[in-house]
Amino acid sequence: MTIAIALSPLLAVGFGALLLMMAEAFSRRLGGLALGAAAVLFTGAAFAAATWMYGVDQLTDASALAPWLIVDRFSLFFDMLLCLGGGLAALLAGGYLSEHRIERGEFYALLLFATLGAMILAAAGDALTLFLGLETMSIGAYAMTAFRRASPRSAEGALKYFLLGSFAAAVLIYGFALIYGASGHTDLAGIGAAAQHAGPRSPLLIIGAVLVFAGMVFKVSAVPFHAWTPDAYEGAPTPATTFMAVAVKAGAFAMLLRVLITCFGDASWTSWASGWPPVVATLAVLTMTVANLIAGRQESVKRMLAYSSIAHAGYALLGVTAILRDSSEGASSVLFYLLAYTVSTAGAFGALILCGSHGREAVSYDDLSGLGKRHPAAALAFSLFLVSLAGIPPTAGFFGKWFVFKATIDAGLYWVAVIAFINSVIGAYYYLRVLVYMYMREPAAGAPVAVPMRSGYVNAALLVSAVLVLVLGLAPTRYLDLAVAAAKLGAG
Amino acid sequence: MSTAQSTEAIREEPVKLGWGQLVGLALVAVAGVVAARFFNHAFAVVVAAAVAALVPRRHGWDVRAPIAVIAALLAFFVARMWPEAAAAVQGGAPPAETGHALSWLIWLPIAGAVAVLFLPRQAHSTLRWTTLLIMLGAIVAAIPLLRVAMGRGYHFDENVPWMPQFGIHYHVAVDGISLWLVMLTVFITPIAAWVSFGPIEKRLKDWCFALLILEGGMLGAFLSLDLFLFYVFWELMLVPMYLIIGVWGGANRIKSAIKFFLYTMFGSVLMLGAIIYMAYTYQRVSGGAMSFDYFDLQRVLVPFWGPGPGEFWPHGPQLWLWAAFTLAFIIKVPMFPVHTWLPDAHTEAPTAGSIILAAVLLKMGTYGYLRFSMGLFPEACAYFAANLAGLAVLGGIIYGALCAWKQDDVKRLIAYSSVAHLGYVMLGLFAVTQASVEGSVLQMVNHGISTGMLFLLFGVIYDRRHTRHIDEFGGLAKPMPAYATMFVIATLASVGLPGTNGFIGEFMVITGTFASNKLGHFAGVQAVGAAIGVILGAVYMLMVVQKMFFGPVTKKENRKLLDLNAREIVCLAPLAMMIFVIGLFPNIFLSQIKGAAERVIDDYEARIEINPPPKFYEGPIKLLPRRPEAPKAPTATSPQDLKAAL
Repeated sequence: MTIAIALSPLLAVGFGALLLMMAEAFSRRLGGLALGAAAVLFTGAAFAAATWMYGVDQLTDASALAPWLIVDRFSLFFDMLLCLGGGLAALLAGGYLSEHRIERGEFYALLLFATLGAMILAAAGDALTLFLGLETMSIGAYAMTAFRRASPRSAEGALKYFLLGSFAAAVLIYGFALIYGASGHTDLAGIGAAAQHAGPRSPLLIIGAVLVFAGMVFKVSAVPFHAWTPDAYEGAPTPATTFMAVAVKAGAFAMLLRVLITCFGDASWTSWASGWPPVVATLAVLTMTVANLIAGRQESVKRMLAYSSIAHAGYALLGVTAILRDSSEGASSVLFYLLAYTVSTAGAFGALILCGSHGREAVSYDDLSGLGKRHPAAALAFSLFLVSLAGIPPTAGFFGKWFVFKATIDAGLYWVAVIAFINSVIGAYYYLRVLVYMYMREPAAGAPVAVPMRSGYVNAALLVSAVLVLVLGLAPTRYLDLAVAAAKLGAG
Repeated sequence: MSTAQSTEAIREEPVKLGWGQLVGLALVAVAGVVAARFFNHAFAVVVAAAVAALVPRRHGWDVRAPIAVIAALLAFFVARMWPEAAAAVQGGAPPAETGHALSWLIWLPIAGAVAVLFLPRQAHSTLRWTTLLIMLGAIVAAIPLLRVAMGRGYHFDENVPWMPQFGIHYHVAVDGISLWLVMLTVFITPIAAWVSFGPIEKRLKDWCFALLILEGGMLGAFLSLDLFLFYVFWELMLVPMYLIIGVWGGANRIKSAIKFFLYTMFGSVLMLGAIIYMAYTYQRVSGGAMSFDYFDLQRVLVPFWGPGPGEFWPHGPQLWLWAAFTLAFIIKVPMFPVHTWLPDAHTEAPTAGSIILAAVLLKMGTYGYLRFSMGLFPEACAYFAANLAGLAVLGGIIYGALCAWKQDDVKRLIAYSSVAHLGYVMLGLFAVTQASVEGSVLQMVNHGISTGMLFLLFGVIYDRRHTRHIDEFGGLAKPMPAYATMFVIATLASVGLPGTNGFIGEFMVITGTFASNKLGHFAGVQAVGAAIGVILGAVYMLMVVQKMFFGPVTKKENRKLLDLNAREIVCLAPLAMMIFVIGLFPNIFLSQIKGAAERVIDDYEARIEINPPPKFYEGPIKLLPRRPEAPKAPTATSPQDLKAAL
């Protein structure tokens, strides 16, 4: 019995995806699919929350799933996060696809399967299930990127994403093969025991770990593995971009955290002198600095948001680095950061969707000029999410940054923290630039202007995100408690 | 705004006795009765009547009545706050310090801002009156603060857990230093708002919202004693000011707004890092929970010199923490060489924005240095005091004055004069003597009033001529006599003429600096430098007055300029009166500042005494006893309690 409870979030989303596929195949009308997909995902989140309430320690039968799937608070937290992100993306798609006349039902099925993949990824306790989840998630994302069939940019982005993504998956699986050769295990706990025994000296293990790490940070889109991100994000239809920025990234961080903590989490691997923290810290610093500098130079708001999502991956990687002193504090800061980032980014992309309509999509900064005067509500929503992304109180983004920076300082990485602080100032520059265009500029005479669409779906998604941004910004304690509880990983 | 409209706005009203005048008269009469009945000070009525009679004849009662009311209120203020009188009143039971006076003060404007959002966008006059009433409400909410003798302690202490597992509390309290800055804020904001209600018509609702949020943020920052809360308010002020410059500013507003934002934010994020480090260090040495409380963090003694023999440069963590805090504050002050955002921001900001920026926001920097840098890191402050004082004199007072001298844009000139004036404030803080610290705090208020008034006055002429170039004016005293009078009053206050407020502050700072033993061998030299700055100040300010007001009227456009209108006179009157109130009765202010300044210096000296210079402290991080004046902490939250609570 309890095994059904333990699997209920996955089952809900999985069956929901199948149902939706059937509905799409046998029904002539498409109208309700977006709502259906969002409903399925929010149900998945509700099941995850219910399982959380039930208490993972009571799920005695769930250990039968181990090491394939691990149901612990960590995976349940990610189930909720992924379903929330996926649900918001589904709502946005409901408005966006019909407005831009590209609505076809398979989008929602793809979205649900990709979310399911990400959930499996977050729960995977074995390299094989991990790879399975990764591919389920990625293939859905590739297809969604290519969804605007008529657009060459969409195809270009999808092809880049697909080629590089497959390559990265191959690197990852090759790394696991080497680790298997060194340790004789494919389950993460077994690898962890072997890695602890061998310490960071066995060359085979180290090469394997490096390859696995490279494969993982590709999905996180950390610099220098970020080259696909702007093109894929820009080419994809915006709801798919939202999904990639939110759910794919969160799934990738779940994988990264679980592999690093379970497999390479003991003292010798996490020490600054001999372990992986300097590598992650370097990547974090590179990621946020490069992405922030490039983001400031963009002329397209969508591309700017793509780079901003890379930069945010850098901040989250900072929290991963902080594991070196206290794995619980570092991981919980990453979890909270992802939560804050999810609602802010989904909101920002949603506001960008809201600001455009068929044939008059908001893409560049100029499209947005004077929006604050013409459409104050849309501009206000956009501002709220940008302020949150910039990390200004009282919004979710501020506390996200706050906890990550706190974890970094507690871990003694002062210089890294200083660089991150300076980066958040650079970040503020390009977020504020949008505000400048919306509130302080007027469009040039005769220039095409973006006209906001009317869609209940998009409005609902924005409302949910806005409420969460403010709640997380004013009373973050409850949610932080969730993240702290989730950061204690199950044994597997 | 077109010229036709502005002419409309400043048209003079013919003198006639209508309902408005009768109401004004009634108001004076009611004020007089209230005065006589409750305060027993017919004095105030006499002063009010005298001031009303002094207003030139061509103004009607619509000008006289408000001015008389303001004069009466200020006269009450002087009479009630006169130290002996205050002591006599407070002889009985001390007034209750409950009722959440400070929370009302902070949250009234913020709640008002939210309320304004629900008003219709087109209802301009409702928006204006609501905003003004909320701001006047904040003044009323601030009155209880004046009824308490501040002494050395903290008052109206409120300490409520906000995020207890991180030791973040909603902790607000007021002492003699923040008292006058709070008063300055509630005093200046309505004036700035009221003066803006003529020229600003574009997006008035957003304007009112921004002003109210800004006021709440400033009050919160002055009153917070939890560093996290302080940071939240500090950032909260940033956004409305950014919008005020960026949306309602001049031609080059966007660049200036972004420059302002990025400079300030650059400093403040580093400060955030230092705040987190301090809270974490407190947790480590106290073995208990984290805390962001000012009084807890004050106890943390962080080594100043790093381990290791004979270093050239101190490299203990205290240096970096102090640097992070101080950088944030000196950007805000601003001190040379990070002052370059200020002239741009002032030049492009609308008049009300310039007034608030000069009068209050710059004080955030000096207040922050006094409260946090000096309170938390006295060793580092003492180590760098002499160098920084040199910077304040050369880079602030003298360089600022020379820059001001060479400007031909009047707003830029006033902005550089702010750099120079705040140089005195910082010099006084670096010198750490009783006179200099008291003088600095008073000078913060003085600068707010006199520079705020100068910006307001310049805004008046800008609305008529739409130029900032000094050569465009000349001989203005002829068409605008009342305006010229007000401008000269503000100028003399800014120059520091005896009898005006500027004199008191500058005099105290210079004498205090001269007597200081914290500035190495150069205290005397620096005092002399500051005195030279006074002369330079007179040079550039009087040059402006001479070029703008005297001589023949050179430009045709200036010949027909209209003098101050009722709204402008009502805005300027309280500032002009305040200049003389502080100039003639400084004791009112100093008596409240005295205790807090003593406490700051005692805390500072106590730390220096344990570990005298030049070695200061180089041991491990340790926890000092709580300072005697710190308010009693609420029930200590142990980790076990927290677990139970969660």
